[in-house]
Amino acid sequence: MTHHSKKKHESEGEWEPKIIGFLCNWCSYAGADLCGVSRFQYPTNIRLVRVMCSTRISPHLVLDVFEAGADGILIGGCHFNDCHYMTGNFHTEKRVGLMKRLLKEAGVDEKRLRLEWVSASEGEKFSKVVTEFTEEIQKLGPCKARTDDMVKAKISAADDASETFRLKALVGKEYNLLSKGNAYGEEVDPEKLGGIIDAASRDEFERALILELARIRPMSVKQLGMVMDVPTDKILRHIVLLRQNSKIAMEHPEGFTPVYKTIAIGGEQ
Amino acid sequence: MASTDKVGAVMVVGGGISGLQSALDLADSGFKVYLVEKQPSIGGTMAQLDKTFPTNDCAMCIMAPKLVSTGRHHNIELVTNADIMAVDGKAGDFKVTVKRRALRVDPTKCTGCGSCAQTCPIETSDEYNENTKVRKAIYVRYPQAVPLVYSIDKDKCIGCGICAEECKAKAVVYDQEESTSEINVGSIILSPGFDEFDARLKGEYGYGVYKNVVTSIEFERMLSATGPYFGTVMRPSDGDIPEKIAFIQCVGSRDEQVGNEYCSGVCCMYSIKEAIIAKEHGGDIKPKVFFMDMRAFGKEFDEYYNRAQNEYGIEFVRSRVASVFENPETKNLVVKYVEKGEPKEEEFGLVVLAVGLRPPEDAEALSKVIGFDLNSDGFCQTTALDPISSSKAGVFVSGAFSSPKDIPMTVAEASGAAAKAATEIASARDSLVTKKEYPAELDISGQEPRIGVFVCHCGINIGGVVKVPSVAEYARTLPNVAYAEENLYTCSQDTQEKIKEMIKEHELNRVVVASCTPRTHEPLFQNTIKEAGLNSYLFEMANIRDQCSWIHMHEAEAATKKAKDLVRMAVAKARLLEPLENLTIDVNQQALVIGGGATGMVAALELAKQGVKVHIVEKDENLGGNMLKLHYLPSEEDPTEHAKALADEVASNDDITVHTGTGVKSIEGYVGNFKTVLESGEEIEHGVVILAVGGQEYKPEGEYLYGENPNVLTLLEFKDKLKKGEVKGDSYVFIQCVGSREEGHPNCSRVCCTGTMTAAIKVKEKNPDAEVYVLYRDIRTYGFREAYYKDAAEKGVTFIRFEDDVKPKVEDKGGKLQVTVTDEDTDKEVVLVSDYLVLASGTRPYPESEALAPMLKVPMTKEGFFLEAHMKLRPVDFATEGVYLAGLSHGPKFLDECIGQGLAAVARAMTILSKKTLEAEGIVASLDETLCDGCGICVPTCEYKALEIIVDKKDETKKLVDVNVGLCKGCGACVGACPSGALTQKGFKDEQIVAMIDAALEGVMDNEEVKQ
Amino acid sequence: MSSTAPETGGEHKVGEESFEPRIIVFCCNWCSYAGADLAGVSRLQMPPHFRVIRVMCSARVDPEFVLRAFQKGADGVLVAGCHPADCHYIGGNYRTRRRIALLRILLQQFGFDPGRLKLEWISAGEGEKFQKTIVEFTDTVNELGPSPMKGGD
Repeated sequence: MTHHSKKKHESEGEWEPKIIGFLCNWCSYAGADLCGVSRFQYPTNIRLVRVMCSTRISPHLVLDVFEAGADGILIGGCHFNDCHYMTGNFHTEKRVGLMKRLLKEAGVDEKRLRLEWVSASEGEKFSKVVTEFTEEIQKLGPCKARTDDMVKAKISAADDASETFRLKALVGKEYNLLSKGNAYGEEVDPEKLGGIIDAASRDEFERALILELARIRPMSVKQLGMVMDVPTDKILRHIVLLRQNSKIAMEHPEGFTPVYKTIAIGGEQ
Repeated sequence: MASTDKVGAVMVVGGGISGLQSALDLADSGFKVYLVEKQPSIGGTMAQLDKTFPTNDCAMCIMAPKLVSTGRHHNIELVTNADIMAVDGKAGDFKVTVKRRALRVDPTKCTGCGSCAQTCPIETSDEYNENTKVRKAIYVRYPQAVPLVYSIDKDKCIGCGICAEECKAKAVVYDQEESTSEINVGSIILSPGFDEFDARLKGEYGYGVYKNVVTSIEFERMLSATGPYFGTVMRPSDGDIPEKIAFIQCVGSRDEQVGNEYCSGVCCMYSIKEAIIAKEHGGDIKPKVFFMDMRAFGKEFDEYYNRAQNEYGIEFVRSRVASVFENPETKNLVVKYVEKGEPKEEEFGLVVLAVGLRPPEDAEALSKVIGFDLNSDGFCQTTALDPISSSKAGVFVSGAFSSPKDIPMTVAEASGAAAKAATEIASARDSLVTKKEYPAELDISGQEPRIGVFVCHCGINIGGVVKVPSVAEYARTLPNVAYAEENLYTCSQDTQEKIKEMIKEHELNRVVVASCTPRTHEPLFQNTIKEAGLNSYLFEMANIRDQCSWIHMHEAEAATKKAKDLVRMAVAKARLLEPLENLTIDVNQQALVIGGGATGMVAALELAKQGVKVHIVEKDENLGGNMLKLHYLPSEEDPTEHAKALADEVASNDDITVHTGTGVKSIEGYVGNFKTVLESGEEIEHGVVILAVGGQEYKPEGEYLYGENPNVLTLLEFKDKLKKGEVKGDSYVFIQCVGSREEGHPNCSRVCCTGTMTAAIKVKEKNPDAEVYVLYRDIRTYGFREAYYKDAAEKGVTFIRFEDDVKPKVEDKGGKLQVTVTDEDTDKEVVLVSDYLVLASGTRPYPESEALAPMLKVPMTKEGFFLEAHMKLRPVDFATEGVYLAGLSHGPKFLDECIGQGLAAVARAMTILSKKTLEAEGIVASLDETLCDGCGICVPTCEYKALEIIVDKKDETKKLVDVNVGLCKGCGACVGACPSGALTQKGFKDEQIVAMIDAALEGVMDNEEVKQ
Repeated sequence: MSSTAPETGGEHKVGEESFEPRIIVFCCNWCSYAGADLAGVSRLQMPPHFRVIRVMCSARVDPEFVLRAFQKGADGVLVAGCHPADCHYIGGNYRTRRRIALLRILLQQFGFDPGRLKLEWISAGEGEKFQKTIVEFTDTVNELGPSPMKGGD
């Protein structure tokens, strides 16, 4: 996938979807192999990357790939209870949930990310999945990340949000909380927990986007509200927290409207 | 102590400023205290305030020392996160069942480091910040909270387990259960405070609907440097700085509609304060206050009000706001009101609602469980003559729970409640308090310093940034360091044992701990080394967390270097540390009360009931003072009868010696050791002085025909005639603020409005057809006194407001008095013809105060009232220890308030009189006589009057400064001023501080870095 | 937590060598020291070149201490006390203000820029003000360069 070919395709209006597939070594990759051995056909748009377990795919990887210009991403893993690493795919499912939440926040159609369980014996299923998914992406058209700076900024913010301790902690604990109960030995209501993660994802995304936007130039609450299409009182609440955590600084206002600038990231890497 | 069936412990219910004061007074005078608080930490409402009126002091700055002393006091047990479930028994012996809700954190293990809250993924709104900020599901209420123990908000917690994984102290206990215990106490003090009025109930102001309508307490957090906006005033809707702010007064007060007819007493002042602070934060902000009557009735409050208008340019509009509407585009708010009959509207960027005070939510439950009565407004019922007692014997009340009130009145009442609670169980004093036994102190004189250094990881709070092992390693290389180690938590219980072992094993004679801040942790470590036989002053701390690892989180190397520097500095000082002795002063356990009015008598009796020998001095021939002149109380009790009864009780009490018909000639000495000579020649030795010299009604000679026409009378004169039945007439005019709130006497006299209501109501009761007019500027019937205002109006008294600078005119028209006044509401001149003119004239101090002030080295206000040590938190103390004040010589006030203050002075005095000896602070100034040349430069630098120039006993030609360690508070101001180096401050000696400076800059001049 | 505060007071090149300012801060126990602690509790980040010495009251800061610090090579000295009305010892800080004003004149006579000595009121609630003061003062000292005692100007 070179820049040269990309430009050519687009200028000629012959857009071809770029799809990346992440497959786990033990089931899906073997399934893809079987598909080949059995000579099942599927479109040529997909490029496959082998990983040991589907749970290796972090939200950061997926969002980074979208940011780089992918139109669709397929994640293939073992069926539940078949995971070579016991419960890896249960975590994958939760993590994909977070990715979809963040993609939605970023304005990227969540259908561009697909999770499928494909076993080593399901060669035919693999070809079917890839064919369907390619058609789906064809229908959705090119992902705007390549052309729209705002979408790109939003994906970048979603990426930053996915890296926050808070979201990692929530999603990292999600499977165990739902399957084994919480620290009090109580059962956890999946809907309630889902709601909490929804809200946290939205908050972290919005905060990351504020930092993203105010990094370029100082922004007021009202400007941020307009650009992000988020109510200004909510923006202000985010700013309160970001200031508290020394992530954004108020520049002393001349009139009655303070502006904020993101504090450059320091030594901790 | 004689055997007794009383229990020498008190339960204080509510840990706000009121509860803190009661607890400290009791614990300092020989009683065990259980301080029960609903919240997980103490501090109450005051901890949420930004600044306080009328001095604009930072609330947390003045409160934090009290918080810390309470948390540390070995006779105060904090029972937090707790509710009272049942009370059995009777006064002197109550059994209280207390339920502690689960914190889900083990308070003995939690070090308050906060790692748990940093990682908790659950955000929720922060009640301490009035929901303007977020907190986590595991949290402390505020950073300075006492006790500094985190707790889990179970309603919000999802049980993810991350905090338990994060906590290196293993303090998180998810399955902690609530616990119930029975506590045996002799008295109970109620100080549960108040709730704010729910502004949603005043729908017309749009609170909860319009984002830019906030309550005063929310605004308080918005002003605070620790609040959401770091002190910049912003609109919650969009973060803009509001150009115009409207303050709307009486939201939920003086309002029949919402069922709160009383005045909340504090809102006028806090709104003025908030307006001033807002203006100070942003000079372009224009605050405007909409009010009905400006109730600035307290000490120097009117001056504050005047400053707000004249210096800060804050606008005040006399009008009750009808409604508030939002402009949906700009989110600005349109305030609709009527001024002088004209409907008006004005747009503002922010609206602040001055919400009133309500009884606390659990008032009714408390009253049922404990068995005391509430008044019709739901506050605790008290009486004017016994303002501190609830209806149940042995149960006392203080603060806003008995009626809305400000902080100084609350603090005074809290001390007063402590006095009453102590009297109940005086026979059991010292029976339940513990005195810690320590091993004999090791003699280290002549020993080479052997310093032990303990470096704390504080979980990962320090260790995550600073390389702690290398700091400990470095410490070992420093001269005189005999031992150094690192600890996961240096403050944990097992480390204390370790420190003691190491002191023995390595014969350490100095200890340095490098961890957090000495402000919270120094006493803990000092206690530890004392348990190992070292003098507690042989200790020094290096603050490598709060002031290093936490503020240089991304510069591990520089932070480590800094930590080493800080340790080097601490070791340099430690090398020079000396054992300090806490000098003891013998205490004469007698008291002198100056003034035999209600305040003085109440104080003397209360002291006597606690077993103290009291001398009471009264310049008149009889005891009783102003109380004999009141004649009527609005609440129907008979003050004259009561004054006589009190006087009889005082006279017949064997422990009280009454000296009437004489004044004080001289007073010498200091706390615990005063010697007073009376004008009669008698000499009295005593340990404390209570100043209750009273005040007098101003005689307005030359004003309004006073002194010229016999029917022009002051309020007290009129009441006297009324009582005697000598008043005959059908028309009466009262003029308010005579000799108050004007040039020379800028402040309000507080009592005249209510006094006028009492008199006017009496007139109307006797003669319902009488025409009664009250000419006023602001009616200041604060608190429940508002009911008398309403009563007077309902009885047909007519109120006419006149402008501050246009006084009414009075003429004698052939036996009748003609009063001409311009009605401010209509701007029309009104002419009243009247039989009587009553002048509500102000309260003035007695000239005797002026003579007493220099004898006791206590300051006065420019109006001649005594000036207390701190307007907010030390209302009955002076900076000079052992001298207390109460009653009218402090400022104008009502009888119940005088009684409260008199009792408060007793509690404060008992913190001295309950002891045979006092321990002076070890860190005090001391003098090298050979260097002192008696220049006296140091003397005015001492705010505590501990310095005095004396003649050198060894050389009569030479002068010297004398340091009275009984008075010294150890600030070191005199030492900083001494030009000859004769004065020094123990614990902060010049050479110790210089050693730190040198250590900090070691090697800098040689341009080589210190080898680390 | 992957950021630093408005931290401009970093390295500053003087000639060939990098200049690390040495700053001594005297804090009164009741307000400013507590404010510095609050800055820590609030995790407000600031340059690490200062060292705090705690005294009970800012009035305890003997002019000699300030001069000693400069003599030993400090590039700046900051004295922090309670706001005028807040002094735990009632009026100690008023004296501090007068004393520091005099000291600045004295320092100037010795060829020091008076900007190297600063007095600031910081309350127990003003963690952010402590941070701001440190950042700004570090900047000032950076601009002034090494102390004349060390051959700077």
